[in-house]
Amino acid sequence: MSEHSSSTARFAKMMVVAKDEWRYWLRSKLAISVLAIGLILTLSSVVVTAINTMELSHTRHALQEDAEQTFADQPDRHPHRMVHYGHYAFRAPSPLSVLDPGVDAYTGNSIFLEGHRQNSAMFADQKQGTALTQLGSLTPAFILQTLAPLLLILIGYSSVSRERESQTLTYLLSQGTSGFTLIAGKGLALMSVIGLILVPVAISALFSLHEGESITAIVGFVLGYALYLTVWALLVLLCSSALSKNSESFTALALTWILLCVVMPRVASSTAITTVPAAGKLETDFAVAAEMRKLGDGHNANDPAFAQIKASLLEKYNVDSIDQLPVNYRGVIAMTSEAKLTQVLNEFAEKRMQTELAQTDVSRDFGWLSPMVAIRSLSMLTAGTSIETHHKFLREAEELRFDFVQGLNKAHVEQLSYQVDMNRNKDTDSGQKARVNAQNWQVLDDFSFAVDTPSLRLQRGAPAFLQLLAWIAALIIVIRLVGKRLV
Amino acid sequence: MSYMFKQLSREWRFMLRQKYLLVLLGCAILISGFSVQSGLNEVAQQQQTIERLKAADVADRTDTQNKQDEIGMLAYYTFHLTYSPPSDLAFAALGERDIYPWKHRIKMLAIEGQIYESDTQNAELTQAGKIDFLFVISALSPLIVILLFHDLFANERSSGRHDLLVTTAKSPWALWGARGAIRFISLFLCLMLPFYVGAWVSGTSLVAVGLVSLCCFMYLAFWAILSVYWGKNANSGPKVASGLIGIWVLFAFITPILGDLAINKFVHSPKGGDIMLTQREAVNDAWDLPKEATMDAFTATYPEWKDHVAMQSMFEWKWYYAFQQVGDQIAAPISQEYRAASQKKYELAGYASLLSPPLLLQRVLTRLAETDAVAAHKYEQQVRAFHKTLRLYYYPFLFAQGEFDKGNLANLPSFDKFINKQHGVSDTDSAQTTNK
Repeated sequence: MSEHSSSTARFAKMMVVAKDEWRYWLRSKLAISVLAIGLILTLSSVVVTAINTMELSHTRHALQEDAEQTFADQPDRHPHRMVHYGHYAFRAPSPLSVLDPGVDAYTGNSIFLEGHRQNSAMFADQKQGTALTQLGSLTPAFILQTLAPLLLILIGYSSVSRERESQTLTYLLSQGTSGFTLIAGKGLALMSVIGLILVPVAISALFSLHEGESITAIVGFVLGYALYLTVWALLVLLCSSALSKNSESFTALALTWILLCVVMPRVASSTAITTVPAAGKLETDFAVAAEMRKLGDGHNANDPAFAQIKASLLEKYNVDSIDQLPVNYRGVIAMTSEAKLTQVLNEFAEKRMQTELAQTDVSRDFGWLSPMVAIRSLSMLTAGTSIETHHKFLREAEELRFDFVQGLNKAHVEQLSYQVDMNRNKDTDSGQKARVNAQNWQVLDDFSFAVDTPSLRLQRGAPAFLQLLAWIAALIIVIRLVGKRLV
Repeated sequence: MSYMFKQLSREWRFMLRQKYLLVLLGCAILISGFSVQSGLNEVAQQQQTIERLKAADVADRTDTQNKQDEIGMLAYYTFHLTYSPPSDLAFAALGERDIYPWKHRIKMLAIEGQIYESDTQNAELTQAGKIDFLFVISALSPLIVILLFHDLFANERSSGRHDLLVTTAKSPWALWGARGAIRFISLFLCLMLPFYVGAWVSGTSLVAVGLVSLCCFMYLAFWAILSVYWGKNANSGPKVASGLIGIWVLFAFITPILGDLAINKFVHSPKGGDIMLTQREAVNDAWDLPKEATMDAFTATYPEWKDHVAMQSMFEWKWYYAFQQVGDQIAAPISQEYRAASQKKYELAGYASLLSPPLLLQRVLTRLAETDAVAAHKYEQQVRAFHKTLRLYYYPFLFAQGEFDKGNLANLPSFDKFINKQHGVSDTDSAQTTNK
């Protein structure tokens, strides 16, 4: 009972300290302007990014439907013409990309799909950029990850050291407030600022419910940022109570911020690139081309590489020449070589994606050294704007590509006779004959890209959560030690 | 002279006794060293990639040429490597080479379908940005300068020594000047030494090193003077520093972001995807168009083949490549517009960077290192020009009838030779100034 009443008394004291801190901020011009600037920045970033993303989402859905319609509307043609005519896959942005666009601006968000090759995603927004936003862009993620900690430092660096410098600390302590209660009270005040910063973000995140985002992902996302900013509040409290002067506390915090928020993320990515070198697409293209020459050119049914297929086909249908086959030999060759080629292409693509993941893992491990790296990964992972989502898009687009190309090849095999096909270039009439009905262009599956399930995304974010929690635990332990010795 | 030296050596000893200054300087040299090191690594990787690609390119072409005999097939399957090697200053300013492609494989098909192929690195790492020397100088060093200089006066005032120091010093310059100079020189050297080592390793020309040094000196001096000026009457160091960091945030983030928003609103650019769409539609439509339609459009550009456009069969390679050319012609206006828009954006970004010293420095140094959008644009022009020489090489064989003799492949254009020739003709003056 007495323990309970002492803990409520302690909490009441913490509240008094927190309220006092707020009173100090409201009186101080610096703190109030920092707070105002912080809120304005967060709000405007939320609004600007939301408008951009909504535009993008709508255009991409419309573009996808357009592309499907255009494909289906093509006239009767030789099926292989449609293989080269190709199709597009568009990646609609994930709902939470409103708050963290992640890699979206760098990957490009549409892919041209055609026979015989895997194109890279094209037209990343950055290429048509002004190069002005290299240091940071007006996204809520950037504001929260980089600038919000600075804001906490600017208003909190003197929270305890100020009391010491103005000699009110000994007074407070001798009044029966324990060192830890004092620090906790100041912490409470900082936490209320964090809450204030997170309000617009949380509201904007809730709006993405409407776009089909799950509440779990939203909670995970906002919680991640709350943990991250808590790390900073703790760092501020630690420096402010461990160092004896305001100026020392400030310098230490500023330097910490520079190292953790500005230097570390870049050190992480530079280290990742140099420790896990990745062959570019061009290099794998050469390797693929070499493999392909072994497989034979699917356009040329006389390629000696196909002799075996020919023999087994003749045997299967028990005929002497390819003219007598009930199926179109050219079509069969196109179909088989597309399948083999795709296998090779997928092997290389998979290897490349694994390398990229290995690189990303190296850079994410820096989250143990910098909470900023941890929240960066966590934020992109839960928002579904990380490299994994891009890879998912590449894989699904490839599936779409393979399906429609083979669908067309099937029409080539079954609906176009070999003789007609061979005579296609003889004159206009035979050219007209060597076509299949436009009905066959319905081979396209409806493509609509969705990010991974919330549980999978959160599962991927688990290490980053752990990193943040480890930071918090370590800081609380150190602060308790410092709090005991506070004089 | 010895008087000045005495002042400086006193301040030097004073600085050595202040631990936090030493920590700051230590961080500066460590970070700068790391950035130069990773810049050198990155450039070495780029060069190795180019070497590997060159070897693969030759092997690939030889294979293809052994396998194919027909001129149309040869043109269809023969790729040509194009690339833009990193300059000897690129290690210090990696610039936008991770956004703009600097290597391509080009063949005789429509160039508009090939030039936008991007071979970029891991997007998540690109998004985080790399740490290069330029980043350390333009974004980080102002913060270190602020931490070093903001409390020049405030520190002495708050410890109550200010008035005593001022009255005992011979002149304000002997005291504050010497103190500032020592801090400035130490920081400058800590930041620049790794760069000088890097420049020596990669054989950067002295002119470039001199220019970079000058730019960095002016930039650091700007921040130092601003910091001293801002804090000249203040009592509280942290307040001065807060204001200065506010200015830094304004220059490094806010102005550029606003500039970016304004420029993107102001300049209308066609969508990149539309270029490819136009080109592809043109090429695909050509299969169903009367052959004359394609050939007429083709001979409008190349009238010399007017008498060779008649076709014997429904499919001939010359027609195939003619409609590739026509596809480019149809997509040309929108492609021009796209490039004009990005040039316009670059130009306007120049004005915007006048309001932001960090960006101004980035712009100047990436220009020097040839790692900016201008260099990327120049490379794109080279690729386009090279593609044209490929066409000019193949058209006579495609259009003039007769068997193709594979001996002619010896004269096949190569990007290496093409670049050397271009440099030999037009860049002699600039080569003289930039070559070491």
